[in-house]
Amino acid sequence: MIGNVYSTICPGCNFGCGLYIRENGELEVDFRKSSPANAGKLCRFGMSLPRFYTPARSIVDGRETTLDEAAKEAAKRISSTKGSVAFLSLGNTTCEEHLAFQKLAESFGSLYTGVELGALPGDVHQTLSVGIPYSEIEAAKHIVLFIDPYEQYPLIVRRLLLAKKKGAKITSIWWKDMPLADENLRPADTSKLQLTGDSLIIADFHPLSDTEQVKSLLALAKNAGAKITFLKPFVNSTGAYILSMDAKQKSLAQLIEDINKGTIKTLFCLESDILELMPEAIAKLTNLIVQTGQESAITKKAHIVIAHEPLYKKRGTLINNEGRAQAPGGAGTGGLEALGTIAGTKFDFDSLHESVKKMIGITAVDEFTVPAYERPTYAAPRATAKPPDAKILLASVYNPFMWSGLADDNDFVELSLNMVRALKLLKGGTVKINYNGSLLEKKFKVAPVQDNVLLTGKRIGIEKGAITPVEVSR
Amino acid sequence: MQKGEMFLGWSTKEDIRKRGGSGGLVTSVLAAALDKKLVDSVVVLKKINDFEAVPVITSDVNEVLNSAGSLHSVPSNFAKLIANKNLKVALPAKGCDVRGIIEQGKRNTIKLDNTFIIGLNCGGSMHPTVTREMLEVMYKIRPEDVHGEEIEKGKLIFETKDGKEHAITIDELEEKGYGRRESCRYCTIKIPNNADLACGNWGVTGELAGKATFVEVNSEKGAELLQNAVDAGYVQIQKPDEKGIAARARIKGAMEGLSRKWKEKVFIPMDNRLEYFRKELENCIDCGACKTVCPTCSCGDVSKCTEFHYRGDAYKMSMYHLVRFLHLADSCIGCGQCTDVCPVDIPLTRLYRRFANPVQEELKYEPGMDLRRPPYFEVKLND
Ligand SMILES: Cc1cc2nc3c(=O)[nH]c(=O)nc-3n(C[C@H](O)[C@H](O)[C@H](O)COP(=O)(O)OP(=O)(O)OC[C@H]3O[C@@H](n4cnc5c(N)ncnc54)[C@H](O)[C@@H]3O)c2cc1C
Ligand code: SF4
Repeated sequence: MIGNVYSTICPGCNFGCGLYIRENGELEVDFRKSSPANAGKLCRFGMSLPRFYTPARSIVDGRETTLDEAAKEAAKRISSTKGSVAFLSLGNTTCEEHLAFQKLAESFGSLYTGVELGALPGDVHQTLSVGIPYSEIEAAKHIVLFIDPYEQYPLIVRRLLLAKKKGAKITSIWWKDMPLADENLRPADTSKLQLTGDSLIIADFHPLSDTEQVKSLLALAKNAGAKITFLKPFVNSTGAYILSMDAKQKSLAQLIEDINKGTIKTLFCLESDILELMPEAIAKLTNLIVQTGQESAITKKAHIVIAHEPLYKKRGTLINNEGRAQAPGGAGTGGLEALGTIAGTKFDFDSLHESVKKMIGITAVDEFTVPAYERPTYAAPRATAKPPDAKILLASVYNPFMWSGLADDNDFVELSLNMVRALKLLKGGTVKINYNGSLLEKKFKVAPVQDNVLLTGKRIGIEKGAITPVEVSR
Repeated sequence: MQKGEMFLGWSTKEDIRKRGGSGGLVTSVLAAALDKKLVDSVVVLKKINDFEAVPVITSDVNEVLNSAGSLHSVPSNFAKLIANKNLKVALPAKGCDVRGIIEQGKRNTIKLDNTFIIGLNCGGSMHPTVTREMLEVMYKIRPEDVHGEEIEKGKLIFETKDGKEHAITIDELEEKGYGRRESCRYCTIKIPNNADLACGNWGVTGELAGKATFVEVNSEKGAELLQNAVDAGYVQIQKPDEKGIAARARIKGAMEGLSRKWKEKVFIPMDNRLEYFRKELENCIDCGACKTVCPTCSCGDVSKCTEFHYRGDAYKMSMYHLVRFLHLADSCIGCGQCTDVCPVDIPLTRLYRRFANPVQEELKYEPGMDLRRPPYFEVKLND
């Protein structure tokens, strides 16, 4: 912290974009042009951080209280429901807090990181956890995208354009044409892909990833001798996955199942708003405990909110997609203290920090150096990805706004001109979307999208995972 | 002391004189303004390293004194920093900072009467990330090993911690895509006579070279600022000799000539402008950073460029940019900030200047150089 300015990392995704936050009554975002991941540049989400960082208040059953009281009450409820408590940390906090949380989970319940690492062979865990340096992306000769870079990980776009300037060919495999791609293929045409040892596949890995699809991409890369890198949506996804690699952990799908079965009654979310991802399951909980630095949809539903400093005021370590260690910017350890109160112990920052460095394999946090990570070979996993067979699909394009539940200016679906013609949609009008009897009317934007697909960058409330079969009409 | 006078000056505090870019005069003038309550606050850069400094608004004289030194790889943007804060403030400012502040003044977000601007001569600034890469690729040195840097006789010289100097001509660096930011190459405001004072090392010769700053007093406010620093015992000044004055004018002329050449090189006339603009803008992700950072824009959240633009529209070219191209044609100062912050590397300043160059030439209007109202302000509905 310098004066009222924090040099911090954007919490929108795992890209690791550096910025300044100036506290000046209101929050101001300023551009930290020396930041190695993004040269100071920020996407729509980064520019929206003053809105994201709405301070949270500690609450117990609707009554405002202190952090300490909220943590003590959380401790009581966790002990009284021991055995049916789930601890969820998607990777939105520092390594040090995540590690303390993991210890807490080990003694009181089970840890959920959201991703389905357990369903994937152990020899691919490292590849899924740590991506390759952005400089390697810029140097690639052939890049194959299984993401929408513009919507999902916007700061990757300039790296792709730089690669292109140096002669790289870019192939996009997506439901929509990408302006930067030299070749646009649709997901169903993946078999037409020509990969070589010079190819680099860029995909993403997150709690809603289809495990079979992840396996098939890993196999695709392995069989062609191509490189593969996975981008991730949470500011410390990489840190969380490395730290939890050997821990027993469960996925989001398992969490929903456990809540539905009634084996989980208390859920403790650390800096993780999963309300939009599992609203029905959340409603079934006896205790929803949320520890967070900012207000969001889930804090309004929680029985207990343990509110502490936001990420930009925290002390600790974040690991970005490349494996680069960065500091979130502050000196606050309120989160760790709360976790200590709940665990009935005192978590010492310095010793946690030492453990983190050891587990990550670094001796110091130096944002200008990407540590050399092991890149173990793996056996091509056997995958049984099957293409969705519905006639019309609604595909969710997960982006930082969706993951954090922050509203964006995108209340429309994208669809093709052919669909407009087939349905005789009116310019400036809406399209009706029907799923299992739920009917929605949405504005639409005409884009070069696959003819039987609707794309949404916002949750519209009828989704069944990343892809939902729907019917459409005028 | 009067408007139009020129001096050579330096800090009376030895350590500040040493740490200063050229004699620590600017730092001392700022500190004296705060100390003697000419202003309530001062903007300074808090140095992290040679490639990073955080702009802060401070009322602490010691903090001001600690900020001495020129950072060529910190393309700061002070106009937006002080806008809408109702400050009585003194600040150092590159030519583009000065222009931005004056334009904000015209739009009533900064009170110019309460703003003391110490202009810095500026041959150009560099983007820190580009500089780091340049050090590794061109100079073969680690950025962490850099101890200091200077520009001499057309060469950019880095000194490393082992005391060695590493020099490459700026021409060679810029040919390879390094060196100054593109907008700095064609910027013609080399001596900011639009500020209250214009300070720089050009014209400081002989024994004083590197140990004093050449100051030109451009306004009564400037005279007050400098006299205050002299009276408070912060700076010492003397008259420059004719040789120095002539040298300064000569370098200024040469630099302006070079800028004009760059302008011709960058803005080659083109056919099919529509396709060019469409292609350059096709990667835009609607982040709005170019508007946020723009030092002449004073519109809040509700503005024409955002109101006419809907993300659900499928126009071939975004209405947001089209409105901005028009809206800024009279007011763009070519500072390069929009290009700096664009997340998809659109060369925005170049696009804005494609509109602004002919319009500003036609209207004989140079935004931020004086208090003339922007020509578009004069367009009334019944005209
Ligand atoms: C980017 C840049 C380019 C320059 N180019 C030339 C040139 O070509 N010819 C010439 O005669 N003079 C140039 N100068 C001015 C010169 O380097 C000295 O700053 C000037 O002579 C004043 O010296 P000083 O010792 O009195 O300043 P100091 O006492 O060292 O004070 C310098 C002040 O400038 C501020 N500052 C430092 N870096 C920046 C920055 N990047 N942007 C805004 N404020 C900053 C500091 O916070 C401090 O307040 C340049 C300065 C900069 C910052
Ligand atoms: S959301 Fe991701 S891409 Fe966007 S600014 Fe934040 S870290 Fe960068």
